Amino acid sequence: MSISDATTAVSAELAARDDMIVCRGVDKWYGDFQALKGVTATVKEQEVVVVLGPSGSGKSTWIRCINRLEAHQGGQIIVDGVELTNDLRNIETIRSEVGMVFQQFNLFPHLTVQDNITLAPIWVRKKPKAEADEQARALLERVGIPEQAEKFPGQLSGGQQQRVAIARALAMEPRVMLFDEPTSALDPEMIKEVLDVMKELAQSGMTMIVVTHEMGFAREVADRIIFMESGEIVEVGTPEHFFTNPTEDRTKLFLSQIL
Amino acid sequence: MAGGGEFGAYADAARDLAAINREAGGALTELPPEEPSLPPGRWIKENLFSSRSNGILTVLLLPYVLPLAWILPSANPFGFIAGLYPDRGILGSVLNFIFSENRDWDGVRVNLRLMFTQAYPESQYVRVWVALGLLVALAGLSAGLWAQWGSLSMKKLSMWAMSAGGFIALGVLSRQPSVLRDGEGTTLLDANSEPLRESFVDAMADRWVWWAIAAVLVTIGSTLWFSLGDQRRRNTFVAAIAVVYSGLGLLVASLWIVNYGHYGFSDGEFIIQPGRTVAMSTKLPWTVMWLLLGATYVVGRAVKAAGRAGVARPMVNVGWLLSPFITFWVILRDPALDYGYVTRVDIPMFVAFAVAGGLVMWALTSPTIGETGRIIAVALLLFALFHWLAGALGWYPMLQKARLSFLLVAGFALVAPNFIGEASKRVRFVVGYLVTLGVVQYMITMINAPSTVHTPSNEFLGGFSVTVFVAVMTMLLSFPIGVLLALARTSTLPIFRLLATTYIEVVRGVPLITVLFFFSVMINLFLPGGMSLSELAAVTTGFVLFSAAYLAENVRGGLQSVRRGQFEAADAVGLTTAQRTSFIVLPQALRVSIPPLVGQVIATFKETSLLAIVGVFDFLRIANSVIPAQREFLGHKREGLILVSAIYWIFAFALSKYSQRIERRLGLGDQ
Repeated sequence: MSISDATTAVSAELAARDDMIVCRGVDKWYGDFQALKGVTATVKEQEVVVVLGPSGSGKSTWIRCINRLEAHQGGQIIVDGVELTNDLRNIETIRSEVGMVFQQFNLFPHLTVQDNITLAPIWVRKKPKAEADEQARALLERVGIPEQAEKFPGQLSGGQQQRVAIARALAMEPRVMLFDEPTSALDPEMIKEVLDVMKELAQSGMTMIVVTHEMGFAREVADRIIFMESGEIVEVGTPEHFFTNPTEDRTKLFLSQIL
Repeated sequence: MAGGGEFGAYADAARDLAAINREAGGALTELPPEEPSLPPGRWIKENLFSSRSNGILTVLLLPYVLPLAWILPSANPFGFIAGLYPDRGILGSVLNFIFSENRDWDGVRVNLRLMFTQAYPESQYVRVWVALGLLVALAGLSAGLWAQWGSLSMKKLSMWAMSAGGFIALGVLSRQPSVLRDGEGTTLLDANSEPLRESFVDAMADRWVWWAIAAVLVTIGSTLWFSLGDQRRRNTFVAAIAVVYSGLGLLVASLWIVNYGHYGFSDGEFIIQPGRTVAMSTKLPWTVMWLLLGATYVVGRAVKAAGRAGVARPMVNVGWLLSPFITFWVILRDPALDYGYVTRVDIPMFVAFAVAGGLVMWALTSPTIGETGRIIAVALLLFALFHWLAGALGWYPMLQKARLSFLLVAGFALVAPNFIGEASKRVRFVVGYLVTLGVVQYMITMINAPSTVHTPSNEFLGGFSVTVFVAVMTMLLSFPIGVLLALARTSTLPIFRLLATTYIEVVRGVPLITVLFFFSVMINLFLPGGMSLSELAAVTTGFVLFSAAYLAENVRGGLQSVRRGQFEAADAVGLTTAQRTSFIVLPQALRVSIPPLVGQVIATFKETSLLAIVGVFDFLRIANSVIPAQREFLGHKREGLILVSAIYWIFAFALSKYSQRIERRLGLGDQ
């Protein structure tokens, strides 16, 4: 879908905000297999975009391209005015503005929770240790587990680990947060605690792109839903539009399988 | 000991959790009920005869497993029925050989000091004790500060005591009765010209001391075993360190009480005085060592209790790192300093580098320095390299020390951007630079000063001390090189990959002995004029380069075991490649590589025996060539070699046990 389609699907208020992430015709190949086919989308400031789609549709590949964990071969990705190219400087700038939360948490197992969170602010942002510690404790409070600061990731439950991962990403004060199926590896009891943190984050005005299968979350929190299949964007719309009145057949097929 | 670091804390935390759980009476989680030990009959049934095939295997193998069959004749699987002495199994033969009266241990006893320190002059021997004392003090401090000694259950202690007693009894039984000699010491022969031996009963009576020791051990063991019930046996603990320290204390006390005899050299003459205790020059220093160990342990525990362990541990670690250099070049070598030169040249040079370098470091860590910091660092590096080039081509004279100091400044300047930030961080960085500069310049001054220790050969170190020295230096130096090689081999830059792979494959294809021959014989022909390596330095370099290649492969295995997600998380959070490698990847990679790494350490330790072939007087060469050539002990090779094997085995076993402890502490295998 073209940029104009993506933005007309949302309210005028949203359209008035600045562009945070602009993707134009993004292509990516893994060898001969094309994982992304001309993906075009714009994410506005403070917008929450939820990306839905079947497995292998390119959702994770797309957001991993945004912070250069994967390199795109065609098209443009512009994050907060900085174009993502092979230039290391641009990559570093973009990575410091984009925080990412992974499906497998990827916490550093040999460091305490506190050290996990303060490592980057101290060594990348050159923050004084006291200030970084203070910030870490505030973030742990925000995600609801201040008492776990001196534990090691291996001693925490999955939900707690994912919340620490969110706090670790927030410690770098990013302008965009990317979530790659954050609750897919969690037990049902723990999914709620992580989703609550993400809801609070959305309400506080963070720009978020969330790849997830949690339809309840999508319906409640998303400003816009992007549906992808086979590497291309099939449909974009508000949650009401998407869940009650989808236009594309492929969307209808997907919804009929999951709802 | 040194190097617990963050991994010790990692496993500490896991254990603490278990301890908290225990204290809470298992209320936090349900622990399975402790299983009591099985009574012997049931243990045998369930472990040895659990199934029919197990039972058959047991019956077939047990006679070979039981020491009895190895000590007694092994003509048939049930040889213990056939008779006691005529011929015996493998272990029995070896033991009999070692403990037979044909062994003349005088050669080894007299040359004991020679085997450990070779020709170190008697007049300055106190330096050896000082060096040893430094290591003992560091060991005591480490034991106190890290205090991870654990405890031994009564069950274990009693089993050890009983088995030790049992083995001694078996050993006494297995040794042949001694030959009978007449008044002049000639062996009496029987009708077939075989040596006449005393009767079995007489032999046992002669060895009553050993029977007494065995009886004491078995009594202690069985008292402990039977007086406590199974439950108390398993749950009453004794601090391991108390057991070890008392054991050592007993050994030291025996030096004062037991008549080991006085053996040694004096003015080129042998001293052989059995029937009295060892000389004061041996008793006293060992007692001092034992006391020093205890005192430093107490100090270490006190520091830990006072909560200052965080400050003391890095200092002890630095102490360990520096100890080989200080013991070798400063203590044992006794450099004679020219104090006039020191005040004229060395001290002003240090002050100049300290002040100028300190200011540069302070400036480079300023938050406002930006890109100019990196440019200055690269400029300093080029400046330092230029000096080396000029030195090699002889353009202008510059002291080696100055050139190395410039290189050090450049190195610190390159890592300075990581320490930009608040004042306390910058101060710590500058202090680190000053301390490193001081240590490096001090060592260079000491190395360049001539030695006052005069020995027949140019090397003043020999025997076991040179073995330990080469092994330690090899591990210290090859480890960083190995890690760098591993990183280079897995790097994304093709030139690093090519160089590293070539180096590793070339070195791994060549036998160590050829590398050593090359370095000891030929290296001085290849060096630019004016530079020469002493023989010890040359062979150590050979060892280091060889060992680094093997280490690199071990570390590479560890690197490949770090999950991709860790790399991605580090990238996503903004760490540079260097930061990601040193903070995230290497700690996890090294943790995994520890079993093969310790295996490498043990192998290196044993490979130092090749020094004997290359001409260095390590203790294998002394046992093999020097002692059999002495007037009094012509041809006495076996006893020395038995001692050498025993010492090698003890050290290798200790290293292997230490590696098991490290693995347990890091929770390896509990993934």
